[in-house]
Amino acid sequence: MLSISNLHAAYGKVEVLHGISLEVPKGKVVTLIGSNGAGKTTTMRAISGMIKPVSGTVMLGGKDITGLDSHRISRAGLAHSPEGRRVFSTMTVNDNLLLGAFPRLTRSRPKGDVNGDLEKAMELFPRLKERRTQLAGTLSGGEQQMLAMARAVMLNPDVILLDEPSMGLAPILVEEVFRIIRNLKERGVTMLLVEQFAAAALKVADHGYVLENGRIAVSGPAEKLRDDPAVKAAYLGG
Amino acid sequence: MNKKRFGMYVTGIALLAIFPIAVHNPYYIHLAETILIYAILLFGLDIVVGYTGEVSLGHAGLFGIGSYTAGIFFFKFGVPYVLLVVAASIGVTAIFGALLALPALRVTGPYLAMVTLAFGTICQILINEMTFLTEGPLGIKVPKPSLLGHKLNELEYFYFVAILMVLALIAVNRILRSHLGRAFQALRDSPVACDCMGVSVYRYKVYAFVISAALAGLAGSLYTYSEEYISPNTYNFELTILFLLAVIMGGRKTRSGPLLGALIVVTLPSLLSDISLFRGIATAAAVIGVVLAAVLLAKKQKTLREVVVPVVSVIGMAVFSYYLQNIVDWRLTIFGCMTLFVVYYLQDGIVGYLRGAADKLWPRRVAADAIGTSGDASRTWAPPAKAVDGSGNLLEANNILMQFGGLKALNAVDLHVAKGAIHGLIGPNGSGKSTMMNVLTGIYRPTDGTVTFNGRSIVGNTPSQIALAGIARTFQNVQLFGEMTATENVLVGLHHTFRSTLFDILFNTRRYREEERAAQERAAGILQFVGLADLALEEARNLPYGKQRLLEIGRALGLDPSLMLLDEPAAGLTAPDIKELIEIIRKIRDHGITIILIEHHMDVVMTISDIVTVLDFGQKIAEERPALVQSDPKVIEAYLGGSADDTTLDAAHA
Repeated sequence: MLSISNLHAAYGKVEVLHGISLEVPKGKVVTLIGSNGAGKTTTMRAISGMIKPVSGTVMLGGKDITGLDSHRISRAGLAHSPEGRRVFSTMTVNDNLLLGAFPRLTRSRPKGDVNGDLEKAMELFPRLKERRTQLAGTLSGGEQQMLAMARAVMLNPDVILLDEPSMGLAPILVEEVFRIIRNLKERGVTMLLVEQFAAAALKVADHGYVLENGRIAVSGPAEKLRDDPAVKAAYLGG
Repeated sequence: MNKKRFGMYVTGIALLAIFPIAVHNPYYIHLAETILIYAILLFGLDIVVGYTGEVSLGHAGLFGIGSYTAGIFFFKFGVPYVLLVVAASIGVTAIFGALLALPALRVTGPYLAMVTLAFGTICQILINEMTFLTEGPLGIKVPKPSLLGHKLNELEYFYFVAILMVLALIAVNRILRSHLGRAFQALRDSPVACDCMGVSVYRYKVYAFVISAALAGLAGSLYTYSEEYISPNTYNFELTILFLLAVIMGGRKTRSGPLLGALIVVTLPSLLSDISLFRGIATAAAVIGVVLAAVLLAKKQKTLREVVVPVVSVIGMAVFSYYLQNIVDWRLTIFGCMTLFVVYYLQDGIVGYLRGAADKLWPRRVAADAIGTSGDASRTWAPPAKAVDGSGNLLEANNILMQFGGLKALNAVDLHVAKGAIHGLIGPNGSGKSTMMNVLTGIYRPTDGTVTFNGRSIVGNTPSQIALAGIARTFQNVQLFGEMTATENVLVGLHHTFRSTLFDILFNTRRYREEERAAQERAAGILQFVGLADLALEEARNLPYGKQRLLEIGRALGLDPSLMLLDEPAAGLTAPDIKELIEIIRKIRDHGITIILIEHHMDVVMTISDIVTVLDFGQKIAEERPALVQSDPKVIEAYLGGSADDTTLDAAHA
């Protein structure tokens, strides 16, 4: 579904990604792990067009989306739930979700049943149902994270990028976030996941890539990485 | 490193000295003089616009005040001494600058722009109306001044202006390089963090406006003598826009930018009055544009869509120039279009763009420089020896109530932090932990309750007072000064170590030099301590997230705190980074600094905390040693869920 080859990206003069290649097959969950500064978030941002890649290609469902503006990429069917949530804080939960479906409402993506999907999202994220008319800025950190994920789902995308969905959440909410990711996976949603809890991410994922200093160091089926002693020592904290 | 810079200065001064001798035409000499005068004002405007990040539309007003102070001192009071008149202009305008700064303390952004706009308009109207002082629309005539009994002629006056411009340039350079300049930049990037580093946003905004106004006053008085006649309608709204444009076009946060900007806004209108010259310029621009676009396309750095608009517009301009018969009617339109073009395509200004291009061609070796800096930081950070007087509580918050409308974010919470302890603070999202931090650091004033620190009540103190008293903090959503380097960020934390005054900075006294050197050394030591020595010269916004969190801790250490509040320092960190973080926190504690730690990573909280307080819905539900907290059923239900000690793996099982 999502296929990246030889991606290079830089902030100003400093090149951060030195040729990343990875595949996210349809209906699978793929996770990127690595230490801070390895380039996980940069990879996500380069895929979704928030920074322009220096070179390399990003293909989404056979279509080249390299270097497009991010709103075009989201219309092409890629949703990005960014690090640090970034909800529209002065708008209600409902409006935030409808904005997630904006390309559908303006028909730059097949419309489908937006209202039906809104109700489905509320079922998937029961915490949001209680808060429908509340302003997003008044939600707790955990609820904002749910909202950011639900907003991505509302695009009805082919692929969702989830960047640090459990960051800054209480342990009890971390469990819920992972429950939701599994739930989405069961519904056949394709996801690329970056997570601070690498061990948990490798449990939910089908496939994993380990990033080191802007390069893919190791990759393989998730369960294999989980048992790899080197990966264990370096990233799984034990 | 300064050899190149020194050479630039010498060349610049030599050019200034030679210019009037090489160019005999008095018209061009006067034009050059105007450029120098504008440049002085623009240096000052850049302090406000480029450094503190506020937009001032009142600088034409300040310029007018400077001009008229000089005019009135000469015309009404008959003061013949030019240096005295200039000094008076600087002083009076600086006072008005302080006045203009007052609203800046309450409002920022577009609101402040509106206020300054009103200020500029009022200045112009008052100059026009106060005929008893200003002669109103008639204007004031002022001849060229005498210096030390010698009446200056045109040429000598040019040199007088040139010398003052160079002095202003040096002064502004020194100010902006010092801790003052760092404070200005810091308050632009994050006012909250600035206050929490003991740098009062309030005070430094006023400083910035006063310094900026003083320069406007200097420029104004020089302008009076230069023109030999002043009248109110010079200091209008258009002039203000022109000033702003010059800074933005030239390039903010540089000295060469304002100089170049002044050159453009002064000379371009007169250059445009000559049709053949304009045709030449337009043709040259079209040729350069097409060649540049072709190169960029060939190198695949830009797509066809990106270059088509600029290329078509430069070609259009060239064609249009030959079609035109009379340029005078079109002058302002053309000027406007060119301005729009520059502002749209060169967002960092012309100087900023050129620097960027130069960096691409000859990459600066940042890394090598950084290693050089860290080399002399052989000693890592250690806090200045402090008398730790035994045990007891360092901080006591009693019965804290924090109400937002009907919501009680904190309800009767007590928090007692023992000296030398690591005190964990946990609870579900939205339970009031960050609110507690904000109460302790003075960002919120509690609705009710008392906070004593070191035996003194701190309720009602400003964040910067509390910071200086010894409470440092980091922020949940990182609040670094993004455009400043890692070293500069830490130096803002060390701001309190400076005793130097403006005088020390301007004259580069021994005291200032020693303080700056000591601060640089300590900053290098702190960066070493948090493991960022090799990133010392990197801008904070370019650091990866985990490093940004460490830099926040380093900046807080600069304050020499006795209490440090860490708000989710491990958020978003992966396992190996967390180990490093735990080590750093332990070492900080071992240096005698008490720590309050908000964190969701139980492996961090439970391994290093001496005691843990748990909040839920604004109330304290537990306060025990880590092991006991973990098995407390209330805490498990509200917060931990599942199994407490290994959430990471259980999250996936559940």
